[in-house]
Amino acid sequence: MTDLSSRARPDGVRLAITQKRFEGVTRKMANTLLRTARSGVINTARDFSCALVTADCELLTAADSYPIHVIGGADLMARAMLDMHPDLKPGDAFLHNSPYHGNSHAADHTILVPVFDDDGRHRFTVLAKAHQADCGNSLPTTYMGNARDVYEEGALIFPAVKVQTGYKDVQDIINMCLMRIRVPNQWRGDYLATVGAARIGEQEIVRMGRELGWDALSQHALDWFDLCEQQMIDCIRTIKAGRARATSMHDPLPRTPPEGIPATADVTVDPRAAIITVDMTDNIDCLPVGVNLSHACARTAALVGVFNSLPTPMQPNAGSLRRIVVHLRENCVVGIPRHPTSTSVATTNLGDRVTNAVQCALAAIDPTIGMAEGGAAIPPSAGVISGVDPRNGHAFVNEVILAGAGGAGTPTQDGWLSLFSMGNAGMPFYDSVEVDEMLHPMMIATRRLVPDGEGAGMHRGAPGILTEYRPVDCDFELGFCSDGTVNAAKGTRGGHDAKPARQWLVADDGAITPLGTSEQVLVRRDQTVVSYSTAGGGYGDPATRDPERVAGDVREKWITAGRARDVYKVAVTPAGAVDWAETNRLRAAG
Amino acid sequence: MRLSIDVGGTFTDLVMDRNGVLSMHKATTTYPDPVDGILDAVAVAAGEMGTSVAALLAETDLLFHSTTRAINAVVTGRTARTALLVSKGHPDILVIREGGRTDPFNYQIPYPAPYIPRSLTYEVPGRIWADGREMAPFEEAEVVAHIAAMKAAGVEAVAVSLIWSIVNPAHEQAVARLLDAHMPGVPYTLAHQLNPTVREYRRTSSTAIDASLKPIMQGYMHTLKTRLTDAGLKGRIFAVTSQGGLVDVDDLAERPILALNSGPSMAPVAGRYFAAEEGWSAAIVTDAGGTTYDVSLVKDGVIPWTRDTWLGPIYRGHLTGFPSVDVKSIGAGGGSIARVDASGLLHVGPESAGSTPGPVCYGRGGVKPTVTDAAVVLGYIDPAFFLGGRMELAIDAARAALSRDVAEPLGLSLADAALAVIDLATEQMVNAIEDITVKQGIDPTGTVIVGGGGAAGINTVLIARRLRCDTVIVPDVCAALSAAGAMMSELTRDFALTAFMPTRAFDRARAKAILAELAEKAEAFFAAAGPEAFDKRIDLSIEGRYPSQVWEIEVPIAAADLDAPDVVARLVAAFHARHQDLFSFRDDGDDVEIMTWRAVARCRVAEESRAHLAPRPGHGPGVTRRTMTFRETGPVDAHAHRWDDLAPGEAVAGPAVIESSFTSVVINPGATAVRTPSGQLVISL
Repeated sequence: MTDLSSRARPDGVRLAITQKRFEGVTRKMANTLLRTARSGVINTARDFSCALVTADCELLTAADSYPIHVIGGADLMARAMLDMHPDLKPGDAFLHNSPYHGNSHAADHTILVPVFDDDGRHRFTVLAKAHQADCGNSLPTTYMGNARDVYEEGALIFPAVKVQTGYKDVQDIINMCLMRIRVPNQWRGDYLATVGAARIGEQEIVRMGRELGWDALSQHALDWFDLCEQQMIDCIRTIKAGRARATSMHDPLPRTPPEGIPATADVTVDPRAAIITVDMTDNIDCLPVGVNLSHACARTAALVGVFNSLPTPMQPNAGSLRRIVVHLRENCVVGIPRHPTSTSVATTNLGDRVTNAVQCALAAIDPTIGMAEGGAAIPPSAGVISGVDPRNGHAFVNEVILAGAGGAGTPTQDGWLSLFSMGNAGMPFYDSVEVDEMLHPMMIATRRLVPDGEGAGMHRGAPGILTEYRPVDCDFELGFCSDGTVNAAKGTRGGHDAKPARQWLVADDGAITPLGTSEQVLVRRDQTVVSYSTAGGGYGDPATRDPERVAGDVREKWITAGRARDVYKVAVTPAGAVDWAETNRLRAAG
Repeated sequence: MRLSIDVGGTFTDLVMDRNGVLSMHKATTTYPDPVDGILDAVAVAAGEMGTSVAALLAETDLLFHSTTRAINAVVTGRTARTALLVSKGHPDILVIREGGRTDPFNYQIPYPAPYIPRSLTYEVPGRIWADGREMAPFEEAEVVAHIAAMKAAGVEAVAVSLIWSIVNPAHEQAVARLLDAHMPGVPYTLAHQLNPTVREYRRTSSTAIDASLKPIMQGYMHTLKTRLTDAGLKGRIFAVTSQGGLVDVDDLAERPILALNSGPSMAPVAGRYFAAEEGWSAAIVTDAGGTTYDVSLVKDGVIPWTRDTWLGPIYRGHLTGFPSVDVKSIGAGGGSIARVDASGLLHVGPESAGSTPGPVCYGRGGVKPTVTDAAVVLGYIDPAFFLGGRMELAIDAARAALSRDVAEPLGLSLADAALAVIDLATEQMVNAIEDITVKQGIDPTGTVIVGGGGAAGINTVLIARRLRCDTVIVPDVCAALSAAGAMMSELTRDFALTAFMPTRAFDRARAKAILAELAEKAEAFFAAAGPEAFDKRIDLSIEGRYPSQVWEIEVPIAAADLDAPDVVARLVAAFHARHQDLFSFRDDGDDVEIMTWRAVARCRVAEESRAHLAPRPGHGPGVTRRTMTFRETGPVDAHAHRWDDLAPGEAVAGPAVIESSFTSVVINPGATAVRTPSGQLVISL
């Protein structure tokens, strides 16, 4: 941290203009990747991110990216590239998916391209990261929740491996991937799109450097970090001082403690020093399952919890991050895993629990910040299906994103319905029923909100979604690693818990096959997958919710009149208006 | 004679083509009945021509009309009480949407309400699958019960959108029969007819929007026709559409969604014309108004379309899902407000002073400094000659506001503060241009920019320089680009059929049958256009993708391709070329999956107008001098030329300003402008 008092007044004009241009670079990368990728995970679900770090590996911008993807990982990945390749050259590109070297999890293939000035000096690194439909795991899924270790997971691991030199592919690497990754042409298409996006970022920065001067660009980054740090200082100074501990519990898996996997956050807000500290070290050791967090995901999940909770929305970058300290421990389930610990599912499940714990701890410290727990990831309604399409004999494997978790209530607002997961922050696109039915031999019979499942509160959680789908003219496999069946999203500050997730198979003859929380199962042609995704937790006492909002929820069938009366203490007339006399009586009675 | 009338939020623009002489007139838009404002504008024109409204209308053969009425109704929620009928099991298509969220750490933004509430959404039993198979039967009794409930709920319009109705419309048609029988007179829209495209959210959203507009737009079109006829109009009325074409007003009443973005969609039609005059087949067309900055494109003489048009903010507004001219709109314009935040960072917009109260210099109560105020402070706009001198600008108030809100907090001089505001606005506009050009696969470098809108002249040269364009064209009708565009546009209607066909399993007979069906519809459209229609053309295209890609791209094809022995090779080659063109790569090894077949029928109902104003020189000094401030020079004594007094071919070297009654064009140092013989300015950078 630099001495703030000695800083000159920021040049608010040049900073604003130059930063807009840098954000334009990542946006252009993202637009390119979105439009050109081949797999549905990338271009329908938008499961990708683009970021830009300085030569010193400091995060400058990650506009429009999934929070879990880059905030606390882009810098680690760029650092790993530098450590392993001290002889970087223009035209190099690196394929990086190693969770032991700063990447999120093995299914996220990241392309890093170092950007050089005209004197051959390394100035910036651009990153384009995309979740692959398949990454060569031992089973046809990218979420190997039950994997004992990285060997059982089976993915090819690339610790910042050089994949292009002189702007040309290192064909050996491509060939390895084509031999190991299912639906290899789809992977190759996604690879081309990702490299294309990174190269666009490179070109744009070179153009800026030549136009504005390379030293000016480097100086901009430093000034921008200082300015964002100052914004963060001003923000933290408005929060109450305090310490709190909160625990969020992930559902049990085989070989985990029977009650589940706890994620405990010790959070301290020090407005005087303008520092928020998240200590995640008092947690259990890594487990022989696939939900351990990678270093990047553990750090990022904690940071996301802080950013989600701030009273004024802030941009994460190296400047604002100077004011958040995250303590992690080696060989900790929510810390820094050692090879060969499996982190196959690091971007969602346990990561979301870390984020939830941080949010709830902050809510306990100051009633105007924080939020309740968001609904849990990732139900079978967003599972990976695989098989052979009887219409053309082609093999398929893809994650369908039909529904995910509902968002949490906050001090100011109800939960965001299509949150999907905390780490993805509602940014994924949800699949079109028709597109999924066209691309895969499946029929989606139902996708609807379920009333009365929300975590009630002054600001309620978003409801869960019921999804039902089945194979058409064939059987297929379904893989998923879910959470929230045993441990529903919790409310905070008097807000109620949400209804838990549930999932099962139902056959045409009515026979029900229960599903666990993490499975790889065959779905027969006479069976339907039924998946109820979790709602978000509520924030604040539901009996203090604005009665007009309650009546609106009844009119729109998000809740029933009975629940309005019993839980929210609001009477609603048959026409859908607030019955004020009765409501006042109910609320006075407590 | 032809009239083109563009009813905007503030002004009603009228462009008149009388015996090849073009003139431009403005009146204030009236509420609640905009027809009063239209007649006011006609009265202004009649006054200037020394004739009467009745005589002018009697002379009019064709009247082109565009209106913001439809979009205003959507934005303000004043559409009809509309019910939605959807497939059983999928009542929340408009609630769940397609996901997506911006500002990931800002949970203070509420989740958007659906376009049609859940309480007016009804589930129709039955289910069609992707191949057209019926997986569950239609059940009439349940729908009849829904209709009774809709009547009880006072429903005024109905949207019907069932899953896979585009491959098998039987269930939607069955619903229509029941609506006709049990709810006669209540307008409805069937999704497979309005917008035959895959993706239920987009199709349902366009269907819902269309149905909700039917009662008000049918009423408005009827009133417009009746009142103009009563006032003496003998000619036909055509409505401008969001597809950059014209339709008969009765057609618009049938498909009112076409009216949504009709104004902005005309800008590239005009831009294409003005660019072509200077020999350009590609152009970036900008339209800088008071509150928004619209960017559209011309590529190879063609105006690209999109289905991704949002009404309101992306992911939180409503997606029209309907093919229309691709226009990128951002909240930046002459009225955008400049401010400095607590950390010392300058912002311009998106908050806008709009036209009321407007910029500080308008003296109508605005207190926050805007881009226009910065331009006045820099000497780019003559306070005494704004709108041809009809409005005196309060320059001292503009200086004071800019000084207080920008210069002092930033520690800058007043001039530097004003330049900073212009520079930041420029950067935002450049971002908007880059967003749409990357999406449509255009490299702005070396392209021409056509600058439209009253506020265009302030920074178009700066924008062009940032994008490394060589040339800027500012048409003399730039302040009414949309109304001028209508004068040049054609009757247009698009027809589409969804029929999945991979090229590896190409079925020539089926493909020909599909195109024949589309051609038949196009011919019926030509017949309806009337005997005077000419220059009839049908543009065919396919929408396809590489296997497992999810977004289709549109690829033009020729009917003759279908008869060629190597039809598959031709289609695939055309697809590769288009993919390369849009995304800079092709996958030669892969075949192509065709999703949709499309025919756009176009014909003319009148020759293209000569789209330049008759100059009116000699109304004041041709050249004056005043102090202007530029980044490169600082304050400098520079020329301000009257546009009408510039001789054809006369070059004006920057620093200078060229002014008309409608706009003020800044020629920055190093740039040179020439007034072409046709009347527009061509600026070389």
